[in-house]
Amino acid sequence: MMNPKIARCSWNAAKALALVAVPAALLLLPARAQNPGRKVDLNSNSDTDKRPFDKHDFSGLWSRNPGQYGQPACPECRDNANAPGYGFFGEVPGRTAAGEKRFQLNKPGRGYELNSKDAKAHAEVDEGYRRAVLPAFGNDPEARCEPLGLARLITFSGGGAAMAMTQVKDHIIQQFEWTWDNRDIWTDGRPIPNIDDYLPRYNGYSTGKWEGDTLVVTSAGFDDRQWLDQFGYPMSEKAVLEERWQHPSPNRLLVDLTLTDPTTYTRPWKATRKVWGLIPKDKMAAGGWSGILEDRCIPSDESLFNKFRDHAAGKK
Amino acid sequence: MRNTITRTLALGAGLLLASASGWAHHGSAISYDTAHLWTTWGTVTEFNYLNPHPSMTWERTTKDGKVEHWVSELLTNPSMLVRAGWTKSRSNEALKPGTRVKLYVGTSRAGGFSGIIMKIENEKGESIVGERTNAVGVDMDGVPGGLQPTGNEELPK
Repeated sequence: MMNPKIARCSWNAAKALALVAVPAALLLLPARAQNPGRKVDLNSNSDTDKRPFDKHDFSGLWSRNPGQYGQPACPECRDNANAPGYGFFGEVPGRTAAGEKRFQLNKPGRGYELNSKDAKAHAEVDEGYRRAVLPAFGNDPEARCEPLGLARLITFSGGGAAMAMTQVKDHIIQQFEWTWDNRDIWTDGRPIPNIDDYLPRYNGYSTGKWEGDTLVVTSAGFDDRQWLDQFGYPMSEKAVLEERWQHPSPNRLLVDLTLTDPTTYTRPWKATRKVWGLIPKDKMAAGGWSGILEDRCIPSDESLFNKFRDHAAGKK
Repeated sequence: MRNTITRTLALGAGLLLASASGWAHHGSAISYDTAHLWTTWGTVTEFNYLNPHPSMTWERTTKDGKVEHWVSELLTNPSMLVRAGWTKSRSNEALKPGTRVKLYVGTSRAGGFSGIIMKIENEKGESIVGERTNAVGVDMDGVPGGLQPTGNEELPK
C-alpha cells in the first residue's frame, strides 16, 4: 500500500521516465486514438494487395482502424488531427458574423480543454479545438441522442465505429455503426433538390456521378441543428458538402470533403482526407454474426449515463 | 531500488498507454484524472451494460472499516466490448452484484467518490469486461477516499 504523498512522488518520477517510454509505447498503440501534431502522408497507400478489383464498386465493410479486425496496419487511415478526437479538420476558414454567433453557442466536450495548459500550448489551432468543457457542462447534441448529421457520421467513423457500403444499380447505401444511421447516394442522374423546396434533414440529400474513377457526391438540404463535427462547428441549411470518393486499391477507400457554406464560413472548407481499410466479412463478426453493430444511442440509456457523467463533474 | 525503478518505469509507460488511448468513443474522459490511476478492491452493487458507456456502482472498505459508495463509468463502450468477446450476458455475469473485483480507477476531477474504470480484474487476477490490459495504477486499497484530485486542475468556468 502506498500513501498519497508517496504516490505523488511516483507520478513525478514516472513523468521523467516517460520521456524514454513514450516513443516505444506509442509504437505499440492500436491505431484508434488520433494524435494531434502527428502528420502522415494522407496521399500514401500502405495497401500491398495487388489483386484485381473494381474501382467503381465500394461495397463492403470499412473501418479506419483495420488493425482492430486483424488486418494489416493502415497509417494513412489515421487523421492529421488538429486536436484530440475525430473531426473535419484541415484549414479552418474564417466565420461570418452569423457563423461566429452560432459557433459561440456550441459547447463541445472534446478537444483541448478550455484554458488548460494543452489549450494554451496549441494556440496555433483554431479556437474550436481549444474550448472543450467537461461534457456535463456542454451542449453536444450527441449527448441527447440527437442525430449526428452526415459530415459528423463520416468523420466520426474513425473512432472505432465501422461503416458499411452497399452498392446497387442506381444508388449506394451507406450505413454507419455509431448511432446506427444511414444515407443514400443516388447515382441515377437526378439533380439535387431545389434548395427552396426541400425539407431539411440531418443527412441531407446526396447525388453522385462518376468523374473517371472518382465518385463525386454532392449533398445539400441539411438540418442546421447538427454540428459539422464533434468540436461544435456549426453549419447552415444552405451548406453544400462535396465528397470525392475513391477506391484506389483493393483494401482502401478514401474521401476528400469540401464544405461550402457562405452563411457560416468565409470560404469553402476542405477537410483532411479520410481513409478506410476493407474488413473481410468474417473478420467483422461478433457472436458469429458479421457486419456492423446496431450501436444505437438510446435516450433512456443516455439519460442514465448522463447521471454518472454529471456526478463526475460535480454537477448538481 | 531496482524494484522502485522498474515499478516507476512500468507506471510511466502504463499511464501513457492509458492516457493515449483515453480519447475514447464518447469523449467523457476529460472529466477524470486519467493520468493518475489507482487500484482498489471493490464489490459490485450495480452494473449497466448500456450505451454510450457501461456504468457501475460499487463499494470499497477503508482501513478503518468505513464503507465508501462509488459511482463509475467504464472506458470501453459496448460495441468494443462485444468485439472483444465481452457480450452483455457474459459481462453481466462477470459483474453481477456482490462480485469482488480489483478496479483501476481515475478519480473524477471534481472529486468525490466518482471515477472512470480503465481496467477490471477478477479474484483470479484475470482482466475482465474490457479490452485493455495495459493500465497501471498505484495501490490505494483501503486508503480512505482513494486517490483524489489535488484541486490544482483547471476546471472550466
